[in-house]
Amino acid sequence: MFRLNLSLALLLSLTCLPLLHGQSTALPSGPLQSKIKTACLECHDTGIIVQQRLAKAAWTKEVDKMIKWGALVEPSDRDAFIEYLSTSFPPDKERYTAPRTVTGNNKR
Amino acid sequence: MKSIISRRELLLRAPAAIGAMVVVHPLLNFGADYGSAIPGKQGMIVRSLRFLDLEMPVEYADSFIIPLERFFVRNHMHEPSALDIGQWRLTINGEVEKSLTFTLAELTKMEQHTVINTLECAGNGRALAVPHVPGVQWEKGAIGTARFNGPRLRDVLQRAGVRPTGKHVMFRGLDEVPGKVPPFIRSIPIEKATDEDTVVALRMNGLPLTKHHGSPARALVPGWIGAASCKWLTEIKVLEKEFEGNFMSPGYRMPNMPVKPGEAVRVEDTHPATALNVKSMITSPRAGAIVKSRIVAQGMAWAGEADIAKVEVSIDSGANWQSAQLGKEHSHYAWRLWSYSWNAVKPGSYIIISRATDSTGRMQPDSVQWNPSGYLINVVDSVQIHVQA
Repeated sequence: MFRLNLSLALLLSLTCLPLLHGQSTALPSGPLQSKIKTACLECHDTGIIVQQRLAKAAWTKEVDKMIKWGALVEPSDRDAFIEYLSTSFPPDKERYTAPRTVTGNNKR
Repeated sequence: MKSIISRRELLLRAPAAIGAMVVVHPLLNFGADYGSAIPGKQGMIVRSLRFLDLEMPVEYADSFIIPLERFFVRNHMHEPSALDIGQWRLTINGEVEKSLTFTLAELTKMEQHTVINTLECAGNGRALAVPHVPGVQWEKGAIGTARFNGPRLRDVLQRAGVRPTGKHVMFRGLDEVPGKVPPFIRSIPIEKATDEDTVVALRMNGLPLTKHHGSPARALVPGWIGAASCKWLTEIKVLEKEFEGNFMSPGYRMPNMPVKPGEAVRVEDTHPATALNVKSMITSPRAGAIVKSRIVAQGMAWAGEADIAKVEVSIDSGANWQSAQLGKEHSHYAWRLWSYSWNAVKPGSYIIISRATDSTGRMQPDSVQWNPSGYLINVVDSVQIHVQA
């Protein structure tokens, strides 16, 4: 009996999905959406956030690292930030499909 | 040899996969965009706009040298917003007999050396890590091969005179650091810095470096992870020991021993990531392609500082392997093109797998070697295609 290799299955699933219509880079709506924007988008855009698929423990590490690196997060909001990101971008969310830079013929 | 995927699994999943491919295939030739205009870069996958991280689509990798407009871009920070080439200086200092500065003209007048290098981001393939790890979710295209040209770093250092205490060489660039992020500063051992092929690159593919690729000068550390090749150089400092900073530790480190997926690793049980792994990618046919029975699989294979010894291809999910033909273009630190042709006897779904072996005997693994940062992932590559009746 041959063994299914999880890595191969994931690799195939990545490559069979269309790399066409990128998904939105907007942050999901919610009570923290505007606070997240203020804290995070000072330094970088939403693209780096929306492509992550992390469990809560990993999001916790990332939020704490960002705070250490200057993200303006009220201490009282830290847990809510972690909750928002963990529920918006969990490991089992559908994979993020990135958009492409414009081409001359297909400009929208 | 055991198969990587069970035939039963493939048969069960084939109808849905074929259905998806029939719908998807006609659309595969159109590039989508969201109006992200990056002059000089068209159709690139936007992993991030700010900071700029652009991935090359696999289908663009159809030549030994990748043209600039298709070359991936990786930035940790903001690119320099204003840079006066006339005022720019490169400072050499630290454990040297005398500190020096160079203008671009002075560097250009030195003996120039050309290196054809396959530059790969340490995180290329990170998207395959399960459990997922944080970082830019590169898939296969954070890689490119280009011709880099400039004075040898050892000649530049020789002008300053490296002291016996000088054991490492640190690079600092002009990238603009947001917030309290540590600056992107890294170092390499003196042995690699003084290797004959390590250059202060001024030109890429025959043209002066562009802004995205580190104008006017970048380090070019051949066969090593892209992070070693610091862009927008402003200072090269010779140190007594490895630079101590975030992007040397905990950044860009590999576990000393293999770890289980999801396992935490202490920094003291890691070492700096340096040379690239042996790896390959299939560039044609594209994933999901519907093809006729005569199939030509093509791709690239590379191995950092080592040579590619062979590339093997399997079309029966890893049960059997055949040798691919290697392309004639060959340079120490550059990838090899490869191709493999066959006639599919029956219509239906096939999984093409490529596996490279290098001159030191390293072979690509058939599963992801997980690590907490998703670095140097070099699992065999595979694409699923459908052969028409």
